[in-house]
Amino acid sequence: MKKWIALSAALVAAVALAPSDAAAQANCPVKIGGVLPLTGSMGPITKKIAESAQLAVEHINAGGGVKGCPVQFILRDDQGQPTVGVDAAKYLVEVERVQAFTGTISSGVTGPIISSITAPSKVVQISCCSTATPFTLDGRSQGYFFRTLPTSKTQAVATASEMARRGLKRTAIIYVNTDFGQDMTRFVKLALPKLGGDIVAEVPYTDNQPSYRAEVTKALAEKPESLLLIGFPKDAVTIVREWLSLGGTQKIALNNSMRVKDFVDGVGGRFLNESFGMDNAQVQGPTVDAFNKAFEEKYKYDSKGPGVHTQYDAMMAIALAMNIAKDLTGPSIKDAVRQIHAAGGATVGTGPEEYKKALELIKAGKPIKYHGATGPIEFDVNGDVTGPALVWKIVNGEIVTDHVISIDQMQALFKRIDG
Amino acid sequence: MIGIFSYLVFFACIVLILGVMTLGLNLQWGYTGLFNAGVVGFYAIGAYAHAILVTAPRPDLIGNFGLPWIVGIAGAMAASALAAWIIGLATIRLRGDYLAIATFGIATTIQLVTLNWDSLTGGAQGLPAIPRPLSTWFGSPLGFNLFYLGLLIAIVGLVYWALERILRSPWGRVLKAIREDETAAIALGKSAQSFRLQAFVLGSTLMGLAGALYVSFIGFVSPFDFLPILTFQIWAMLIVGGSGNNKGALLGALTIWGIWAASGVLIAKLVPPAYAAQGGAVQVILIGLLLVASLLFRPRGLIGEVPVVSRHADD
Repeated sequence: MKKWIALSAALVAAVALAPSDAAAQANCPVKIGGVLPLTGSMGPITKKIAESAQLAVEHINAGGGVKGCPVQFILRDDQGQPTVGVDAAKYLVEVERVQAFTGTISSGVTGPIISSITAPSKVVQISCCSTATPFTLDGRSQGYFFRTLPTSKTQAVATASEMARRGLKRTAIIYVNTDFGQDMTRFVKLALPKLGGDIVAEVPYTDNQPSYRAEVTKALAEKPESLLLIGFPKDAVTIVREWLSLGGTQKIALNNSMRVKDFVDGVGGRFLNESFGMDNAQVQGPTVDAFNKAFEEKYKYDSKGPGVHTQYDAMMAIALAMNIAKDLTGPSIKDAVRQIHAAGGATVGTGPEEYKKALELIKAGKPIKYHGATGPIEFDVNGDVTGPALVWKIVNGEIVTDHVISIDQMQALFKRIDG
Repeated sequence: MIGIFSYLVFFACIVLILGVMTLGLNLQWGYTGLFNAGVVGFYAIGAYAHAILVTAPRPDLIGNFGLPWIVGIAGAMAASALAAWIIGLATIRLRGDYLAIATFGIATTIQLVTLNWDSLTGGAQGLPAIPRPLSTWFGSPLGFNLFYLGLLIAIVGLVYWALERILRSPWGRVLKAIREDETAAIALGKSAQSFRLQAFVLGSTLMGLAGALYVSFIGFVSPFDFLPILTFQIWAMLIVGGSGNNKGALLGALTIWGIWAASGVLIAKLVPPAYAAQGGAVQVILIGLLLVASLLFRPRGLIGEVPVVSRHADD
């Protein structure tokens, strides 16, 4: 015990004497850290997201890296458990000395990472997927947290508008009892009555249960004529099967997480011909197509799925901001993140060639406007983006895009709902 | 260098917090034979009690009293003790696996209450901005973490010393007697139920203390901190470390959390970046293998129980 005390005292002294600002040195390679739930209940959707991040790193390095250095991406698994994610993030920030950070998906893991790691250590964190509204709003992030997907509000309002357009009445909502599910439900409840629908039941469910008979029965008791299901694919398969077998309608609205083949095959495509869902749209255009093509060429399957496009943009936003920043310290990168979409800038897109073009512009001191895999990426004062929404449906077991609700249409909808 | 040190300080803090929980479980299982499968429930009560007592008031929430840190710690211990006493009165007569199922159910219930009682716990959004003790005194995260580590070492030292003392007292010998042969203990005139309840409450109070220490370290609490996997991890720590030995409990916390963290580092280092997406699965397999191996080679734990009759018998 005495030895241990002496040892700690010596270490404390060493720390007190050591120079404190070691992070600012621009050593090659430039490290970007990532934490994603590669295993656990989010595992199935995370694989493509991680691959998308890898693709972005390849493009960044092929296009010239960051400040002349190649980028090294270090990815860790959070297993969907906050303590594991926090530990991994701390390791990346302290030992690997990553200069920026991306992650994660579950808001229950992202929250403690912001409050105990990235905000106190002043490391920029860009998430592809955490939608909990308070993260950017209540000041806990001190401006170091950004996300490349529109918050739940965009998706909720788009869902409500599509449900109203299809004339769905007497809707029952079954939602996963997480911050995401609660946020979505709150905004749908706000929007749907103003657009002409009505809600007859709201039933929360807890994820990873073997059966949801009780929840489904409770929702069916109100004799709903349509269902809005907000959750994650593994549980959603169980819920929809039980819903249909107990006589529920096939008019089912779904959220973005269900836009995966696993879900459609799990339920059986022939039961889902009247179903539709929502996702954040990739604006149609060359920058989106370029990303899709690059992804398909590399991985031999399509880039459809939640978080795939937003993760690519998160990585690109980090790399561009690092190049714009005068040095690689947290505060400089944080300020530079908003300059990746500057007024009057030249448009730059996805892929190594476009990235190279962006670097040349930045070097010449000219402003840029980044148009990514999800369209124009412009962070507002809070670190959020707004975006268009996409309506998808299932035809003969295949997921197809129905139509896109553009940014202008979204803003009009927001006006109608917020008054 | 400073980065590695800074990480190790953080890691040590988490280990000590988990160690407090493992010590609590050791009192219940290692010494008294109470199969508590609801560790995370009492941890959650302590965590939320602390968060609700010390966080600054917010208009949309009841609670959040903005009280000093030490009041939060005392409140967390009192709340988890009270909860354990009520739950104990109802369930303590259950033996072995029946108690396990009951406590598992209660822990799940507690987690669901924290998820659904929005006006008190903030629901799934959690409670942010939980004040850290004296954090304004320190300019850097490392400074605070070092201070907190010192605080934790003091607390764990105190808990360890107190446990060692009471477990070597006549009170501790009664617990062991109940674990070994309850009927014989009753025949000797001891009220087994009363002693079991005392051990259950005391152990759960330590779990509540750990919860409070965790949230005041991280500064954020949400229901996702209290998934059943944590109960499993604490059990693994106790069994791998050595049930019935407080040193073993602490060593187990260090070993298991070390395996969890180190396997992640190892995978990130060894797996080529292009296959990083598959690395997570390998890590989980690795953790499982190490657990199985440690149980095969050290079935009584790394440091097993030491047969001690009383502190006078040592001489």
